[in-house]
Amino acid sequence: MTESRNDTDSTEAGLDLGSGADLSRWRTVLARRTEGRAVALLVVVATVALVLEPIVFTSYEVTLGRLALIGLVALGLTAVILMGELDLAVASTLAFSGVVMASIDNLALGILAALLGGLVIGVVNAFFVVVVGINSFIATLGMLFFLRGAAFVLSGEEPVRLVAREAGIAFGRPLIGPLSPRILIFVIAVIALQVFVTRVRAGREFYAVGGNRQAAYDAGIPVRRRVYTGFMISGFVSALAGVINTLERTAADPTAGGSVLLASFAAAIIGGVLLNGGRGSIVGTLIGAASLAILQVALTLSGVQVDVQNIVIGLILLIAVITDPTTLRVVLGNARALFRGSSQAQPEPG
Amino acid sequence: MTTTDAASTDGESVTALEGPGAAGPEGFQLLPWMADRGIVLFTVALVLFAAVFVDGFASLANITDVFNRSAPIGIVAVGMTFVVISANYLDLSVVSQVATSAVTLLAVSNSTGSVALAMLAAFGVALVYGVVNGTAVGIFKANAVIVTLSTTFIGLGILRWASGGSIYFGPNDGPIRAFGLAKIGPFPLSMLVLILMTLLLSYVLRRTTFGFMVKAFGSNREATRLAGVNTAWIVIGAFLMSALGALIGGFVLAAFSNTAVSTNGTGYDFEALAAIVIGGTSVFGGKGSVLRTLLGVVFVSVLSNLMVLSGLGFGVQQMAIGALIVAAVSLDALARKAGAA
Repeated sequence: MTESRNDTDSTEAGLDLGSGADLSRWRTVLARRTEGRAVALLVVVATVALVLEPIVFTSYEVTLGRLALIGLVALGLTAVILMGELDLAVASTLAFSGVVMASIDNLALGILAALLGGLVIGVVNAFFVVVVGINSFIATLGMLFFLRGAAFVLSGEEPVRLVAREAGIAFGRPLIGPLSPRILIFVIAVIALQVFVTRVRAGREFYAVGGNRQAAYDAGIPVRRRVYTGFMISGFVSALAGVINTLERTAADPTAGGSVLLASFAAAIIGGVLLNGGRGSIVGTLIGAASLAILQVALTLSGVQVDVQNIVIGLILLIAVITDPTTLRVVLGNARALFRGSSQAQPEPG
Repeated sequence: MTTTDAASTDGESVTALEGPGAAGPEGFQLLPWMADRGIVLFTVALVLFAAVFVDGFASLANITDVFNRSAPIGIVAVGMTFVVISANYLDLSVVSQVATSAVTLLAVSNSTGSVALAMLAAFGVALVYGVVNGTAVGIFKANAVIVTLSTTFIGLGILRWASGGSIYFGPNDGPIRAFGLAKIGPFPLSMLVLILMTLLLSYVLRRTTFGFMVKAFGSNREATRLAGVNTAWIVIGAFLMSALGALIGGFVLAAFSNTAVSTNGTGYDFEALAAIVIGGTSVFGGKGSVLRTLLGVVFVSVLSNLMVLSGLGFGVQQMAIGALIVAAVSLDALARKAGAA
């Protein structure tokens, strides 16, 4: 279904590297990066925030905390989207694991159960995608409703208080320098995933699976196992975000995560992760998440209500998904064909 | 799937049974049959079970209640069927579309006193939804789930910001209230609207070039494009059908309850999708019908009603519908594998 989209890129790269000039080499490296839109958004948002609401940067713990929440979920999503799959269940996994954790009196046991739950959710999602063969949109959409309902049932439709309140309060305190444990966990997750998808063979194979699944299969890559790994990463990381969120608030909200779903998708897609798979980076997602975190905190501090924030982030997601650089070229050709009324349109991407 | 598959589905019987493989020399196959015709059996079984074993189901008041609840969901679902058949998964933005339509109808008619003007305003909004969703998916080739996810949040944000989250009450007399209260026997008038919408959209899907193209595009978009079809218009048209369903669904909902609020559409996305896939329309695209969706609506509505009568909460209902969607799509996927083997 997905074709490799890197053909033209790699031939250009080969030519430029052949010429050997440092400048053109740098240009090639830059041209192959896909984080451009995220960097642009970050620059704009950061500049505006610096001028209008400098408090976003002086009280950076708040911004970093927001980044940790959006970023963690977006990182898990990135792992799945790299393979051309999608996990719509991330936000309800976050809510569900938070409720599971808070419902168990023993803190350590609760965290363990929540994280294991995340892994199991990932396995079930991957099972429906890989074995049954249904589209990951539908499989994870069903999981979204199921988990949302399960979180409601388990919590009795009310926020569940965390028994170990002291642990939650201690969790919010700075541990190393000004950095609280949740920010450190986020940093560890970023580094771990970055190393995984760029240095570890299994992680690098995610790109192959997403770029051209049949070719990956023919090349001997265990495609099914990689899809399982991806969904398990996504489930685990979302559950981790749920645990952190619950510790931070010392209570679990069964309705948590609605706007996190929107923001994390926006972060990954504007960060250059191609929805059809095979392209994207952890760094791009990180930059995307950072710009959205700054934006959300700045808007909140300016007294902009949540509804209007959702309009802004929804617009960013819509624009991000229709301005993907590789499809945009094809699309502009199509648009011209549309108004000529001819069928000379380019092939459908994906 | 080939275009010939879609072309042969001119009648109501979708051709999984007659298709290659399914009715091969091996003869009868259970999975394809279940995926194709199972819904009739399930619906009849569920209704019989409810009538015999569940107290309060077979009362006139309850049946009327089921009809009242199912009409707006059904109208949304028959419209969204076009999006599903065109292989664009679903239209999540019906959540905000239904709410916007209901709120616009009551808010504008309250402030101007003209129902026609209110309907026109709501129609304009629906047109914007259909064109924006359809353009992003059809021309910009963006993923329909992500596009409609973002338009849901944009639309709901605008609606709540504009309405301040307040509840609008309709006047106690006038055409909207009269429509909401009108009944033909146990059937509320909204059922008539559902049946008319179903017949109209069924005609569009089965007997017009546009409907044929939606199926062809859903079966094989590359082949449809190569045949010289302007595929962007097909996608925009499919999303306009979904917007039309959400528009009328919102009207019916507002008329029935005589109130409108920005949370009106909550749950319409997955209840409509559940009805569509349980009816047997394939999320893989190209195969399905509007009448099947109507059957799915009956199933989902009766099931929801049973859960309410049994005192099961909102959470359990969500779990059940989530599981049902995955089960129905899994059955379809497994039937395809069995048919292909």
